[in-house]
Amino acid sequence: MDLSYGPGYEQFRNEIRRFLEEHREQAPPPRLGLAENSAAMRRWQGILVDHGYACRTVPKNYGGYGAEEDLLKTIIIGEEFRKASVSAGIASQGISMLVPTLLRYGSEEQKREYIEPTIRGELIWCQGYSEPEAGSDLAGLKTSAVVDGDDFVVNGHKIWTSTAREARMMFALVRTEPEASKHKGISYLLISMDSPGLEIRPLKMMTGHAGFNEVFFNDVRVPKRNIIGRRGQGWEVGKATLVHERNMLGASDHSMTMLQSCMKVLDDCGALDDPLLADQAMKLAARTMAMKYHSLRMLTDKLKGRSPGAAGLITKLNGCQLNHDICKLAIDAMGEGGILREGSRRVRDRGRWQSEYMFQLGLIIGGGTAQIQKNIISEVGLGMPREPKTPQRGTRE
Amino acid sequence: MDFGLSPEQELFAHSLRGYLSQHFPMQRVRTLMEAEHRADPERIEALSGQGLAGILVPTDCGGSGLALLDAVIAAVELGRAATPVSFHSAFVAAPYLLSQALPEPSMRGWLEAIAAGKSLLSFARLPAKASSGKWNGSASFVADAMVADAFVVASGDDSAPEFYLLPAATPGLSVEPLLNIDATRVLGDVSFEAVALPARSRLPIADPAGALRRVLDAGRIVLAADAFGAAERSLESAVEYSLLREQFGRLIGSFQAVKHMCAESYAELEPLRALLWYAAFAWDEELDDASYAATLLKSHCCEVATEVVANAVQVYGGMGFTYDCDVQIWFKRAGYDRQMWGGPSELRARAVEMARAGV
Ligand SMILES: Cc1cc2nc3c(=O)[nH]c(=O)nc-3n(C[C@H](O)[C@H](O)[C@H](O)COP(=O)(O)OP(=O)(O)OC[C@H]3O[C@@H](n4cnc5c(N)ncnc54)[C@H](O)[C@@H]3O)c2cc1C
Repeated sequence: MDLSYGPGYEQFRNEIRRFLEEHREQAPPPRLGLAENSAAMRRWQGILVDHGYACRTVPKNYGGYGAEEDLLKTIIIGEEFRKASVSAGIASQGISMLVPTLLRYGSEEQKREYIEPTIRGELIWCQGYSEPEAGSDLAGLKTSAVVDGDDFVVNGHKIWTSTAREARMMFALVRTEPEASKHKGISYLLISMDSPGLEIRPLKMMTGHAGFNEVFFNDVRVPKRNIIGRRGQGWEVGKATLVHERNMLGASDHSMTMLQSCMKVLDDCGALDDPLLADQAMKLAARTMAMKYHSLRMLTDKLKGRSPGAAGLITKLNGCQLNHDICKLAIDAMGEGGILREGSRRVRDRGRWQSEYMFQLGLIIGGGTAQIQKNIISEVGLGMPREPKTPQRGTRE
Repeated sequence: MDFGLSPEQELFAHSLRGYLSQHFPMQRVRTLMEAEHRADPERIEALSGQGLAGILVPTDCGGSGLALLDAVIAAVELGRAATPVSFHSAFVAAPYLLSQALPEPSMRGWLEAIAAGKSLLSFARLPAKASSGKWNGSASFVADAMVADAFVVASGDDSAPEFYLLPAATPGLSVEPLLNIDATRVLGDVSFEAVALPARSRLPIADPAGALRRVLDAGRIVLAADAFGAAERSLESAVEYSLLREQFGRLIGSFQAVKHMCAESYAELEPLRALLWYAAFAWDEELDDASYAATLLKSHCCEVATEVVANAVQVYGGMGFTYDCDVQIWFKRAGYDRQMWGGPSELRARAVEMARAGV
């Protein structure tokens, strides 16, 4: 066990501090929740990529900084940005989910075409996995892709697609081998959002924002070269993406930032003088701290090439619930003011706490529900058997 | 021993449920939500049906003269239906205080207007006391501030409050809207700028500190009942959905994870039905532990309701997170109930004092 950073790392920390001092004016104001992709944010993201503070391990020839994977440096970057309350850049589905998937399964040509604009926030992606009949049972998806000449012709219906209207491209799971078994018949395709025959219908979320969408495919032509991996390999490729998604959604960085803002709310409201609220705050602080060190442990395992086993499966379940609970405490601390929403007089932090409280409940569902996470933890992690497949379709016992 | 609702009360709940589903179906609720802060005489009149508006108004003033327990039955139904009304303020707090001041003849007219659905009153708390007969200051988070015809204002601290009735048109009184997550109930701030207080606007209430305590307890009990109704209805709705939705070739209701989530919600929520009854009964009978019961009830019931509704959202999956799914309405409704008139921790801190004093 060695948590000291050593002189080389302290120098790295000083470099970051200097960088932050020099450049922080250019950073868009930090906000709760996932960062927006605005022009200011993209400029900032570009600066971060160039200096190796975002997407730092993406190789140089794909537009990244090309740093060696270094666990401690990654942690120090997170620490310093958080301490300075400066945005650590864009956390999008493209960057967090697609880029690692491309690096692992993409062809040389695909990597060159897509990675650089993606990490700079210029190319926005959406994730086309879920369908009306295929949510938790994702492998039950029906959107079909049939080869016709040099193209796949896609027909079907995706739902809950976040950022579909902002996105230029979608990474999607589609059924290309209808004869094959459920999991073997799926392929992973990159689809341009301005393809003829593709229609987007916004869906309003609980928060009142139209943050997700339905996407309809009517004979949408997708070049055959837009497949990632082989035909029928989509489930494997897509699952790799999901692992990245779950780790992103439950990331302890996010909880730490949120807890930091929450503590500020509590302090401003005098809630830290209230032993009952202070008790809850410290309970959340302990949960957050445990998840912080849990993630260090996971990173260590990863670097040493060890499998974390069941312990690696709890990030999303814990992290999303934790974030939801942090928002709830901030709202409670505000008392009656806690119910004000965006646009109201006297609302704090532009109503972010309520919308984030709701959004975090959405994230307990999105990317695999809490119940599905628990199934995975018990079945994959703890080796317990699956529930027997008794009740047949449509029957009630 | 007979602890439970009477057959008449059961019948009242039943007919109210029918009435609300007829007059305030979800579609209408959604339309009214969009029209936040707009005066709507039709809505108020519809609420006078079934004696809702006059539930606590004495019979000789045109009301039903019922007990708080009956108001609780109504509040549960209003929460279930997410009916756009600030029941705790307009039809509980305001009429209760006016009826305490009944010796004063002008109160009678207001009470009659409330019961008939002709006037909408609101309860406001103003921390400041009048100095040299004038008010300056503002009352925050006032229900229906923009649409109320008059305000029943409790001013000064808890130990020696004074009560006034001020029409919305009183010179120096102004209102500004607040936007809250629950669009079925609207709020605003009421400001007073050198508002002169004519003697006749003062409510002659014999025990003002006692009346303030009672009105806050009553409001908290019906807010808890509202949250209970919202939670109960969202649980029912989640169970209904689980019997329609299939994943992995099975009804999701057949997964133990889903069943247990619903069972836990039910087991947490159901005892609160009895506590609701008790708290209302204790208030009606002015039992020693009435305040204690009201305080514990509101803190716990609203906390449980928040969890139950969040579980219902989870049963619905992505669908539950949409604006179109009604669970979001109950989610926000329960969120409002939880924060208003004292959140869980604040109330528990008060309860500690009562427990220490040996209730
Ligand atoms: C905010 C948000 C953003 C999203 N963004 C995207 C996106 O960008 N792209 C995308 O493709 N999808 C997205 N989704 C969709 C998300 O992945 C699905 O909602 C999720 O996988 C659940 O599927 P479902 O909604 O069909 O619910 P269902 O699968 O119908 O689940 C309903 C209930 O049944 C339970 N259940 C189902 N199966 C089991 C089982 N085997 N055991 C126990 N319980 C079970 C679930 O836990 C849940 O409680 C998003 C969702 C949300 C809420």
